[in-house]
Amino acid sequence: MKDILIIKDLNYKKNQKTILNDVNLNLSSGKIVALLGENGAGKTTLMRLIAGVAKNYKGSIQVDGFINEAQRKAKLSFTDGLTGFSDSSKLKEIEKFYATIFDDFDENEFEEIRKFMKLDLEMKLSQLSRGMREKLIIALTFARKADLYLLDEPFGGIDAMARKKIINSIILWKDEKSTILISDHFVNEIAALLDEVVIVKDNTVLEHKSADDIRQTHKSIEEYYESFYEDEDDE
Amino acid sequence: MEFKDNIPIYLQIEQYLYREIAMGKLKAGEKIPSVRKLALELTVNVNTVQRALQQMNNQGILYTKRGEGNFVTEDTELLAQTKKTLIDDELESFVQNMTRLGLKENELISALEDYLRGRDK
Repeated sequence: MKDILIIKDLNYKKNQKTILNDVNLNLSSGKIVALLGENGAGKTTLMRLIAGVAKNYKGSIQVDGFINEAQRKAKLSFTDGLTGFSDSSKLKEIEKFYATIFDDFDENEFEEIRKFMKLDLEMKLSQLSRGMREKLIIALTFARKADLYLLDEPFGGIDAMARKKIINSIILWKDEKSTILISDHFVNEIAALLDEVVIVKDNTVLEHKSADDIRQTHKSIEEYYESFYEDEDDE
Repeated sequence: MEFKDNIPIYLQIEQYLYREIAMGKLKAGEKIPSVRKLALELTVNVNTVQRALQQMNNQGILYTKRGEGNFVTEDTELLAQTKKTLIDDELESFVQNMTRLGLKENELISALEDYLRGRDK
């Protein structure tokens, strides 16, 4: 299987503070991978670097063989919290913007996912609940035909029903060859979905393991994740 | 369906499908649901379902028709054997649990008979 993402010796500082230090990570195509770490561990920064949104790093990031940021952006789908849109934007305007900007945006697929998520195109961003906002982000992200999807904490602060919808949409709309990287600081809710787990801690990628290998040792994914924090409780 | 998180999920999917077959919910020669449908039903990854089905294909309990999907074997002997394995597994854990509670092996049958008689009343 080919590697869709190859990160080599990635270093990133912001205001002279090290955010990521010596990150190396390869992801192969077709996988669902969790990016796990506490709040502030650097998960979002890592995603923003992969996506080409954060710049001025050292090392190299390759997506489907492309190192150049613009080419990388074309190969992956990442929705950065809808930060560029005003609260009064209607969903249909946001969709139109996406369809204009991204060549690979499939309007029919957006329509399917939107219906599945029960989102109303006439609604304004300000009218959306947290869960609806996440559903919209998922719909926009998945409507693009990309090889790599980056989902940044899609389950943060949403209810169980919205979570179930998002998980089902991943199962339904994930292409066989595409890879999904999902960041979270709480693994239980997506454990059954995962092929692999990546642990971000101490400003770097500490471990990268297959979910089956973890379970083969009769550990749950949660126990495995928590084992990285055990020593800290004693301090 | 809830899975245990400390056992590989594909093994649990296999177990689940073996049970469905043993209970006759999936019959000999019947087409089983598509990979994506199973994934959705069980809320798991498509890859994981595929891995389970691949193993069951290797074990001969399922077979693949190109472009059509996966079917339950029509080999009645294999089906009977599969059912017996499931029953034996259950009996084994029953025996182990009872022995742990202090029953001797020669007391198991009468204990079970007493229980069944009492329950039927």
